Amino acid sequence: MVALRRLLPATQREWRNFLLGVAFASPWIIGFLAFTIFPVGSALYYSFTRYDLVRDPVWLGMQNYIAFADDADFRLVAGNTLWWVLFSSPLGVFSAFLMALLLNSRIIFRSFFRAIFFFPAIVPVVVTAFVWIFLLNIQYGAINSTLQAWGFKTIPFISSPDLMKWSLVVIHMWSQGAAMVIFLATLQDVPKSLYEAATVDGANAFRRMWNITVPMVSPIILFNLVMSFIGGFQYFTLPWIMTQGGPSRSAEFYAIYLYRNAFQWFRMGKASALAWVLFLLILLFTYLIFRTSGRFVYYAGATR
Amino acid sequence: MTSKLTRRGFLNLAGATAGLTALAACVPAPSGEAAAEEEGVTVQFWIFWNQPGRIADQIMADPSLPDYMGNNTLEFRTGVANEARLAAVAGGTPPDIGALGYYLDFMARDVVIELTDYVAASSVIKEEDFIETNWQQTHYEGVQKGVPAIEGFVRRGFFYNARMVAEAGLDPDTPPVTWDEAMVWHEALTQFDENNNLLQIGLDPYDAEGGVGPGNDGFCISDSFGFSYFDEDTKEFNLDNEEFAEGLEVMGEFIRLIGPDNLVGMRAVEGQGTWGGSFNAEVQACIIEGYWMSGETFNEVPDVAEQLRVSWTPVPERRRGVKLQQGGGHMVQMFRDGTYKDEAWPVAEWLQSDYWCDQIFHNIGWLPSYRPYFDNAPRDLFPGLDFIFNSVQEANYWGPQIRCEIEDFVRVKYGEFREAVYRDQISGAEAVAQMQELCTKEYQAAGFA
Repeated sequence: MVALRRLLPATQREWRNFLLGVAFASPWIIGFLAFTIFPVGSALYYSFTRYDLVRDPVWLGMQNYIAFADDADFRLVAGNTLWWVLFSSPLGVFSAFLMALLLNSRIIFRSFFRAIFFFPAIVPVVVTAFVWIFLLNIQYGAINSTLQAWGFKTIPFISSPDLMKWSLVVIHMWSQGAAMVIFLATLQDVPKSLYEAATVDGANAFRRMWNITVPMVSPIILFNLVMSFIGGFQYFTLPWIMTQGGPSRSAEFYAIYLYRNAFQWFRMGKASALAWVLFLLILLFTYLIFRTSGRFVYYAGATR
Repeated sequence: MTSKLTRRGFLNLAGATAGLTALAACVPAPSGEAAAEEEGVTVQFWIFWNQPGRIADQIMADPSLPDYMGNNTLEFRTGVANEARLAAVAGGTPPDIGALGYYLDFMARDVVIELTDYVAASSVIKEEDFIETNWQQTHYEGVQKGVPAIEGFVRRGFFYNARMVAEAGLDPDTPPVTWDEAMVWHEALTQFDENNNLLQIGLDPYDAEGGVGPGNDGFCISDSFGFSYFDEDTKEFNLDNEEFAEGLEVMGEFIRLIGPDNLVGMRAVEGQGTWGGSFNAEVQACIIEGYWMSGETFNEVPDVAEQLRVSWTPVPERRRGVKLQQGGGHMVQMFRDGTYKDEAWPVAEWLQSDYWCDQIFHNIGWLPSYRPYFDNAPRDLFPGLDFIFNSVQEANYWGPQIRCEIEDFVRVKYGEFREAVYRDQISGAEAVAQMQELCTKEYQAAGFA
């Protein structure tokens, strides 16, 4: 109660300032309430109902959630998504880090390469999907056409269930321009004196990277990893455009299943329950990463 | 000369303006109906296809349009995206009339209105003027909630490229009528290079209309193998049956010869699993398609159209002699939340007019299921069209139009299970048993049981 009283304005003047502040912030507050809080709250309500967008919702209690335990499709898409998050996120961050290291070194045409490596980040994902389809298609893709012309057997990059997810991982690693730029900015901020001292102490290039570079950029590794995990759980556009979750449902991720339920089968209640389960999963993963981050993240300015 | 607006002058002016505005507001406005009679209203007509958008100006230039619309104006939107359609319907702002897909979904959920009275009063739209299956399709639980329109002629034909067939040493004049005979063609026409890379395929039985269903184009595998997947009266699925399992195995054999991974690549010939793209690119020799194949191929790839021949869709040996055909297609519906219902109804009649149908037929290659038009349409306009027209009379089996409220779910599962069969992950019998269980469960969960 005391704490609440401390938060609230005490004098008339403070009240006037407070209300003025709220009035100025009201466009954002109204937008936030109407377009974020209300839909999120509605989704929570609908997740306990059978709702098809058009007819009135029918209250089902926990039935939508309980049904997931017996839903083979749910298990399949959850498995695919976990695979995707566990492989694509670390590899994506690793690839961004490597590109940043390369572009932080003294190579010729450095600015040109920086632009080239960043380029995928500004290409619309639909374009990315089509470019990769034309590269990887077994019949007409540039890579397979070349293989065929040289007398080799073609490789079903995006038409074999065994290779599809790995092909998506490669595309994901290629499109790490945004993460790379953040790494690059951090790398340029690592004090040169640390490298000089390590060189004087006889540290080779690998030791300098492992003992100086990696710890100094570890907060950014954490940041990129968390963002990548969150994006990974919501992965949709590329697999949807490229193969609509195929072949053989190998790229049917959680968000695709959610979309099908919501907009193909009009199971908006079930889709809302799926969305909430996804939200809680992301929350749990993010929490676990932050809880354990103290063991592998170094904050130069941190006090213990 | 300069004039200066004084504070007193400004207040006088503002007062006079406010007074006049208040007086104007007191004048009674004409009622909605009276206003509509005087000025007319704007009727919203939406369709999901893009193709008519290319000729929208020509379509709207119809000199007879005012005869249908009177004082009212027609706003015609084409290529309305999926999410936009659903958002408009769910948000209570649909068009007055339209062909937005999801026909059965809308009927089952009372999004569209009953049209019985409009049809009874119409001199243009009569049951006997339409192909029977198309007319049935517009009904849900005995109530008419749509009118066949825009595109709705017959959906089944075995189209083949006569040049490719002849080059493979086959006789283009004796096309296969059973799946066994089709397999002979398929084996002769499918070619690989010395490294076993696929060069050409005979028939992908799941391409285009061969793979459709269940939905408003019927369900090709059930038409061919002769089973009905759902009983509308008892609301029970009949997916777990021998004919369906047989169909999955027989058609799966075609894919196994091609190689399932190769098939995905071939289907993506134009980038996106394009419907029929590999036939037009002359890397697939045969395809099961609807009547539009003639006109669309003629308009898009005239060289290929020159080689186009058409025959009956194959059936299993035990059904030899069955000449199957399927109606279905599209319709217009009037939306419960639409603003102008009486004003929108003439659009449904206009869509059967010679002018509209001519534009769609000659420029796109589409035909309606409206007999007064297709009985008089030129049969030699596109290659193969004559067979299609004759098939309406000669067909001895019409695939049923089944209205199952979760047909989209069944369709997606059908796609998944047939792939599992041709990839040898499960047998046809296991696939149909699992589909039966899944669809029954979904039907209950969706609240229709």
